Amino acid sequence: MSRVRSAALLAQWQLRRQAQFMPLMIVVQVFLAVATVIGYGMLVGDPSPQAALFLATGAPTITLITVGLVMTPQMVAQARTEGSLDWMRTLPVPRWAFLAADLTVWTLIALPGMVLGILAGVVRYDVHLSLAPWLVPAALLVSLTSAAVGYAMANVLPPQVAMLMTQALVFIVLLFSPVSFPSERLPHWLQEVHSWAPIEPMAQVVRAGLAHDSFTVPGRSMAVLAVWAAVAVAGAMAALRRRA
Amino acid sequence: MEDGTLRIRGLRKRYRGRRGALANDGVDLDVAPGSVVGLLGHNGSGKTTLVNQVVGIVRPDEGTIHVDGIDAIARPDLARALVSVQAQANVPITGLSPRQAIELVGRIRGGDRRAVTRRTEELLDALELGPWADTPAQKISGGIARLTAFAMTTVVPGRLVVLDEPTNDVDPVRRRLLWSRIRSLADEGAAVLLVTHNVREAERVVDHLAILDQGRVVASGTPGELTAPVRDALTVELDLPEGAAPDWPEMATPVSRTRQRAVATVPAAHAAAVVSWAQSRVAAGSLERYALVPASLEDVYLTLVGAEHDAAASETAGSRTPQEVPA
Repeated sequence: MSRVRSAALLAQWQLRRQAQFMPLMIVVQVFLAVATVIGYGMLVGDPSPQAALFLATGAPTITLITVGLVMTPQMVAQARTEGSLDWMRTLPVPRWAFLAADLTVWTLIALPGMVLGILAGVVRYDVHLSLAPWLVPAALLVSLTSAAVGYAMANVLPPQVAMLMTQALVFIVLLFSPVSFPSERLPHWLQEVHSWAPIEPMAQVVRAGLAHDSFTVPGRSMAVLAVWAAVAVAGAMAALRRRA
Repeated sequence: MEDGTLRIRGLRKRYRGRRGALANDGVDLDVAPGSVVGLLGHNGSGKTTLVNQVVGIVRPDEGTIHVDGIDAIARPDLARALVSVQAQANVPITGLSPRQAIELVGRIRGGDRRAVTRRTEELLDALELGPWADTPAQKISGGIARLTAFAMTTVVPGRLVVLDEPTNDVDPVRRRLLWSRIRSLADEGAAVLLVTHNVREAERVVDHLAILDQGRVVASGTPGELTAPVRDALTVELDLPEGAAPDWPEMATPVSRTRQRAVATVPAAHAAAVVSWAQSRVAAGSLERYALVPASLEDVYLTLVGAEHDAAASETAGSRTPQEVPA
């Protein structure tokens, strides 16, 4: 049996299981993305072109991260609570296929919000984007890393704790991370934390992918993100292979 | 090595953590192709832990598990390809209909699309699920969900099929259909491990039984072998009028007593005497109804796993169909 085929079928299973709430989830994602662009604009007042570009190019990252880091663990925690995760794990499917299937589903759910967030930014602030050819793989890397972190978290922590963690993460990502504003605005110690955390590199990669005329990705950020991606995927795989 | 599809030896598992429960304590178990083996035990006796070790969800501390000769502890991925499991909890299938869920799982299990479609139709038919086949899962009852889970497990059956409480919530008519499907699974060559605490019903389909208590196999054998020690005993069940106490004859050994019900065992040789005793009490009005039934596997089971589990067993006693002695 083709392993890729079983991963695709698994993704189909997960997608169909979510189908009932899919429209709602997409609407929430769109709201989140648009709110980040427009709502932050209100907080800031009349943003300068540079600040506006930050807002417009930060929103897609926020959507990708919240889906991976917040919705993925919530779904995994729910599946664990209702007992379907253990049953799914009895299926003769390679363990990476679970990660691949879920990732596909969550990326698809994040996609409309991402695109509309970008459009809202362009329309509202009249910013000029210059898309880099590697934008899509970069977005996938961000999606993969955040979903893998969320996955590992939800598999290792007790479901209720994982749910609470996701709530805390929403605030951290939305308000205390240099995604929609430059990191210089953060207190020094938090800048230091973010230089090792994956969120800032994720924002930088997506930002540079959307406006590569104005932004570049520091090599260090790429390295930090690559390490996080590798560790997160390894962690998620270990969590999936774990035997009690 | 014997040619059993499932071969477990000396399986030991203690969960880490505060309680550190010893879930399996040196379990040996074999399931041969073409046979149905019942694994009986009350809640928490270690049945589900055993199953989870076979498919690599739980790692044993000691012992070996082989599925078709493959070391399932070293290669859980290979073992999973040979095993299909119906979990004790219903797998939620919201968003899908029973038919879609069964077909999709069949294809995930590596089934060819057309074969899966045909087999799904066959199962829906055999379990009389037709009217619900295309109903969204959020509108189906627990029993239909349970049968759907059974079909999901057996649409592309593994060499070993593990069924954990397959009859829970299922109505009596479909229960019979389900038992006959389980039997035919084995007849088609699969090794079937049936995990249950429904002793009464399991007795009729299993070829071999293992009784698990506190992580240990306390008895195993065919239903005939297990009930041999009690073959000479009969169980008398009395329905008493409100407030009456049973005046058991000498040959009866009282077993249990609730408000309006009393149970005792009697040697089979005294059956006629007991019937005439009971009949006279019915005539006198001190007894409403009585039944004389052969000592069953359930009685053996209760003796083995101890009286402290009486409460759990009385759930299953509700489904008994005693052969009432004609008056």
